[in-house]
Amino acid sequence: MKRRTVLTLLSTAATSPLTLGSPLRALAQATAARTLTYGQSGAVNSLDPAQGAFTTYPAGYEVAYCLYDRLVDFDENLKFVPQLAEAWEVAPDLKSIRFRLRKNVRFHDGTPFNAQAVKFNVERLVDKARNPTNRPLWDPVAGTDVVDEHTVVIRTKAPFSQLLNSLAHGSGSLVSPAAVEKHTEKGIAQNPVGAGPYRLESFTPGQEVVLRAADGYWGGKPATDRLVFKYILEASTRIAALRTGSVDVIDSVPVQLVAGLRKEANIEVVVRPSLRPMGLAINLSRPPYDDPRVRRALNHAIPVDTIAERVFFGFAKASDAPLAFDTQGYQKQRPYEYSVAKAKALLGEVGFQPGASGQLERDGKPLKMTLLASDGLFPGDVSIAEIAQRAFQQIGIDVTISKIERGSYWDALRQERAALAFDLAVFGFNPSNASGLYHLESLFKSNADDAARPTVWNMGRYRNPKVDELLAQANSNPDPAKQLAAMGEAQRIVWEDAPYVWLHVNQNVTAFRKGVKGVELWPIVFTIPRRARVEA
Amino acid sequence: MVPGDEATLMAGATASQSDIDLLRTRLGLDRPMVEQYATRLAGLARGDFGYSSTFRGNPLPHVLARLPATLVLMAAAITLTVLLGLPAGMVAAVRHNGWPDYLLSLLVVGLLAIPNFWLGLMLIVALSVERGWLPSFGFTGWASLVMPTLALAARLVALVARMTRGVMLDELAKDYVRTARAKGLAARAVVGRHVLRNALIPTVTVIGLQTGYLLGGSVVVERLFAWPGVGDLMINAVGARDYTLVQTITILFVAGFLLINLLVDVLYVLINPRLRRA
Repeated sequence: MKRRTVLTLLSTAATSPLTLGSPLRALAQATAARTLTYGQSGAVNSLDPAQGAFTTYPAGYEVAYCLYDRLVDFDENLKFVPQLAEAWEVAPDLKSIRFRLRKNVRFHDGTPFNAQAVKFNVERLVDKARNPTNRPLWDPVAGTDVVDEHTVVIRTKAPFSQLLNSLAHGSGSLVSPAAVEKHTEKGIAQNPVGAGPYRLESFTPGQEVVLRAADGYWGGKPATDRLVFKYILEASTRIAALRTGSVDVIDSVPVQLVAGLRKEANIEVVVRPSLRPMGLAINLSRPPYDDPRVRRALNHAIPVDTIAERVFFGFAKASDAPLAFDTQGYQKQRPYEYSVAKAKALLGEVGFQPGASGQLERDGKPLKMTLLASDGLFPGDVSIAEIAQRAFQQIGIDVTISKIERGSYWDALRQERAALAFDLAVFGFNPSNASGLYHLESLFKSNADDAARPTVWNMGRYRNPKVDELLAQANSNPDPAKQLAAMGEAQRIVWEDAPYVWLHVNQNVTAFRKGVKGVELWPIVFTIPRRARVEA
Repeated sequence: MVPGDEATLMAGATASQSDIDLLRTRLGLDRPMVEQYATRLAGLARGDFGYSSTFRGNPLPHVLARLPATLVLMAAAITLTVLLGLPAGMVAAVRHNGWPDYLLSLLVVGLLAIPNFWLGLMLIVALSVERGWLPSFGFTGWASLVMPTLALAARLVALVARMTRGVMLDELAKDYVRTARAKGLAARAVVGRHVLRNALIPTVTVIGLQTGYLLGGSVVVERLFAWPGVGDLMINAVGARDYTLVQTITILFVAGFLLINLLVDVLYVLINPRLRRA
């Protein structure tokens, strides 16, 4: 609140004592207009980018993006834009990046931001003991060289084209080294000090985070004075809170409730596809699923549009590539058309013919399938499995669904090859650093040892040397166009090899009151209120 | 044994096997069961409830910080139960087969049948969204307490009303009541001084035992109203496989349940002096 506004209001009150109520109300409104409250579906328990990061995804990250600045930022379309690095230069061998840092930037505790601070942060993130999570992002980093006060070079062990992704990711948030010293490694999680547009005012873990606009932010003072993040787990409660006006923004609106919200005159709804393509991972280690024709047949057998409409009320789009639409490096492929006839014909080629009961058989043995489904881990996961079951039954496959409670689902997926208890499994991967290469490497790069547990998420034991080579190229070729071309080619091969039954990409829904401007919905599941403001 | 691995969940979807193993070592999950159990018991004795992955340390202080909100909610629910359920049951018993009795029977069936989360939702729509009388979530003042209390207490009120009515009817038919009336005591004194006291014992027992329901119900109600209590924490802990936190809350819940039932036993003596000699 500016002093002049207060004075004007006070003088109005003084000259017209009979209407004392109205200026007070105006004062209250003026104050309210500068506070933006966001009802989050996740709880924020920790605000340290290291030490297990922000625990709840994406709630903690959403706060971190307001509280901390990073060297590099994403814009709404996941392109890199400078933040605390004014400019950077990627070495031709892709093994280091030289950053020119922004000058005259201070952390919220007044200590200067400089090359030493960057070195401190990067080393902290690389150190496994202090930062046990987000390892694929930080393991490739070899070290940091301070060139001068405002120049720093970050080196990687091998050519690594995703270094900017790691730095722009929420875990690349830069913490004040002095604050880590003061509050200790453990205490910084509750007393975060960054250099972002907002500083911490109060933090009640698991309930509420209050941020206040930071004075002297290099990008100018933010439009909103206070940002309040309130944790409201229950979707209907979030919606009620938005309708009563006690919060201005909510995330994660259940798709079945969007139609109702859209009818409300004073509420706006934004929809954006996520970066997580859902699919059924196929276990390639056992026949007949080692044959690409069988896998393509399965892709033809699924009515993906029905899933998008019936399960997600239209708030999902059929996948047309191994990557989601907004992921860096995404390249559209030719969709597998839904056709029972095509599926049956492909299976016929492999030798499967309908037996006496109408079930597909080969050499007298019926075609059976175990479909592993999580329960509540992915949106609509059980329904997806049930529709897939029906669809596969229609082409004559006997499908058994094996439902796994969500807490043990990751474990059930990542088994040694001999212990794999599924033919197909519901799965979706979200590349939290927005990199398509990271996504492709996690899912489709050959495992170090197919008999052991999968290195990352290649639990189906997909193995194609050509894809491995293309991914290695994309990671080491300094020319961005060549990187993209290699990733495009890799996607084409993977799409045709079909180690997945590709399904859909869910859309995320955020809603806010009319008059709220500048709320950004990023495809990496983030509702970002960093530039948001309330207009009365 | 519970399925699911805490370390895997904590490391997240992007972690490699070696990262998960590292976490497992740090959490002590790689040690023999017996050793883990012994370490745990020794810790409990010192007030160290172990390592909670949610709070990255001993969860006890965090749980204790949340406890008052849950206690306030439970106390309000019990108070409302006593204030509404008891008199309603008494009136129904005294006016046996009259209209208050029928009305109460109808209400009791209704309140017992309505699930607390649905009642809560309807309250939010009616009192908060439509009319804006009460805040729809969180704790921002005493007005915030109204709807969660109603949602939590509804079932208990019905239960206690029905119980009181039944017990009172039994007592009213007993010989001492006839004697009291015969010696000319006013109806009010008969019911208030003699019948009620005898009828209170089973009723208080029910309230004590239903604390278990209140604790369970508070988990649901707290989630619905984003109430900053322990129940809300419990749901998250289960989802995050934070066993330590779940156990801490369970231990506190059990302790609370035992404490309230001890209190009930003490109340017996106050209500019925004959029990002092027993």
